[in-house]
Amino acid sequence: MNDSVVAAPGLSRRGLLKVGLMGSAFLATAGLAATLSGCSASTPANGFAILRDADLPFLKALIPVMLAGAVKPEQMPQAIDGTLQNLDYSLNRLSPEMLKLTVQLFDVLAMAVTRGPLTGIWGSWENASSEDITHFLNRWQNSSLSLLRMGHASLLQLVMMAWYGRPESWAHCGYPGPPRV
Amino acid sequence: MPVPDLFAEGLGRGWKTYNGSRLEQDLTLEADVAIVGTGAGGGTTAEILSAAGYKVLLIEEGPLKTSSDFKMQEAEAYPSLYQEGIGRMSKDGAITIMQGRAVGGTTLVNWTSSFRTPEPTLEHWAKEHNVKGHSVAEMAPWFEKMEQRLGVAPWIMPPNANNDVIRVGCDKLGYHWKVIPRNVRGCWNLGYCGMGCPTNAKQSMLVTTIPATLEKGGELLYLARADKLLIEGDKVTGIHCQAMDERCVTPTGRTITVKAKHYILAGGGINTPAILLRSKAPDPHQRAGKRTFIHLVNFSAAQFEQVVNPFYGAPQSIYSDHFQWDDGTTGRMSFKLEVPPMQPALTATLLGRFGIDNAMRMEQLPHTNAMLALLRDGFHPDSAEGTVELRSDGSPVLDYQMTDYTWDGIRRSFHTMAEIQFAAGAKSVLPLHTDAEYVKTLAEAKSQLDGLSLEIYRTRLGSAHVMGGCAMGEDPTQAVTDSLGRHHQLRNLSIHDGSLFPTSIGANPQLSVYGLTAQLATQLADRLKSA
Repeated sequence: MNDSVVAAPGLSRRGLLKVGLMGSAFLATAGLAATLSGCSASTPANGFAILRDADLPFLKALIPVMLAGAVKPEQMPQAIDGTLQNLDYSLNRLSPEMLKLTVQLFDVLAMAVTRGPLTGIWGSWENASSEDITHFLNRWQNSSLSLLRMGHASLLQLVMMAWYGRPESWAHCGYPGPPRV
Repeated sequence: MPVPDLFAEGLGRGWKTYNGSRLEQDLTLEADVAIVGTGAGGGTTAEILSAAGYKVLLIEEGPLKTSSDFKMQEAEAYPSLYQEGIGRMSKDGAITIMQGRAVGGTTLVNWTSSFRTPEPTLEHWAKEHNVKGHSVAEMAPWFEKMEQRLGVAPWIMPPNANNDVIRVGCDKLGYHWKVIPRNVRGCWNLGYCGMGCPTNAKQSMLVTTIPATLEKGGELLYLARADKLLIEGDKVTGIHCQAMDERCVTPTGRTITVKAKHYILAGGGINTPAILLRSKAPDPHQRAGKRTFIHLVNFSAAQFEQVVNPFYGAPQSIYSDHFQWDDGTTGRMSFKLEVPPMQPALTATLLGRFGIDNAMRMEQLPHTNAMLALLRDGFHPDSAEGTVELRSDGSPVLDYQMTDYTWDGIRRSFHTMAEIQFAAGAKSVLPLHTDAEYVKTLAEAKSQLDGLSLEIYRTRLGSAHVMGGCAMGEDPTQAVTDSLGRHHQLRNLSIHDGSLFPTSIGANPQLSVYGLTAQLATQLADRLKSA
């Protein structure tokens, strides 16, 4: 994936508006674009059933922002790994149609050609600050495109459910875990 | 002392079951009656027909999981026991739809609340939907029979603190509240009904009607999706099933052909109309999948000084119907008030936001109560309603479009829940909406609620009750089946599940399904004798 191609610093307001209007088309064709560009291989990353190498940079950038306050900074790396494991487990059991929608959402975030215009994160995910990511999430939450509002809701639910399904998350929320039977 | 796994013991005694994921070749199965679905409708029907001497085959899309599999872990239970691996949502993604998918259907994962169909609902069906033979008096013996069969009784232990908020708040305000009847025997009061009962106390179909069916020589095929009915003229001649892999995600390529004299669909709302649609079953008035209702749910959270521990104890034990019929049967959108159990994974998605906002809300989980309103949809022409559609791969999805009438019910129920929570002593209340904050007084809560933009995605919406979509009624231009559950066009096909309801119920629907299908199955057993 070549990020420099879309790091267009002077994209005009008119250009952005156009991008907004085209957003739905972007989403609809993301799967196709991913296939054509070859940057979204369908093979899972090492150690995962569903998540691909291309999904990992944005998830590793998003998860610490979403879990900030619930996880101590020194424990964040393990929390990210654990969340990815639970997320992968759930995705591997989703119905094919719901998985397809989720993979399309991930494609949009993973591919530079859609990521820049739709998230406002023009550089790589690795270099995005937590402010950039918060800004992107707020932008999607308040987008005029219902697909982006839906994408925002899905991302939050997927990540939160994945983390709080794990026993190491429970101390923070005062949950002693299930009783013994 | 370990809990005996009744189902595993039965299998050891030779109950006849087929695991679709393990099939090495295609299979043909024959029975007197084939039933698609093993939830409330399928299980009840199977027990009655097998007791009447018919050979019954039960077909279940989901896996067979029994008490020793139930570990009370959200991460494992939800993807395994719920439709679409708990990914089921309305078409626009705005409403999470929780429906069971395993042997036992939703009865395996429901929260055990057991109410008879309210009298105004039965009267409304007779008056407005041309339903015959299901009056209050005609239904009473069937509800009683199933209450006895499944141990339904008002919960005898004190409510947990989460439920007690309804009791205390309603008492202070002079509102109606009552103890919820539950279908349990020897319940340990653990609180994990939604993940499969680990002690076999919940009288789900897994431990009651399905074992009874298998004892009588009935058979169970699981991890097999009923794909299409094979239809010739006005008769069903078979069911084509796809064997599913053990995750219940991908067909393995093996198929099962089922042949029977009579066929019964009991896959519940969404799945039953979907089989008819996939099979292109005759439907001259295009009724299959229409008028699907969901008891749309919104939520209000509250924080208390004292410990609530809302993840422990019988999930639902107190309800309020104070606002259920306050504007008549067909007036403004009305609702039943209950609480959800709050284990952390589901709760984290309910409480909303991310980062520090979500973290602070989750940190208070032991002091948190959540209340929910079940909106009684389908009684007023302006009520939101759903339509079942097929996606490109043939799987169903529910298109449920919100209306101003329904949003008005959501706003009023938010007000009411905040009022009850503060009356019960809450120190702050949060309507589950993206733009809302915890506020400390009822006045603040009311002004916050009046200012919220109620729209999809910003308002957290869910459903655990899918009803309708194959309505019963005497008028074939309006209904899919007659009042006996017989398909209006196909003479050896019946529908025995919640998809028959012409509207929503106005109460958690499991006992409505049990009572109705017990009546329909008993009548069917008599008809089959004379056929």
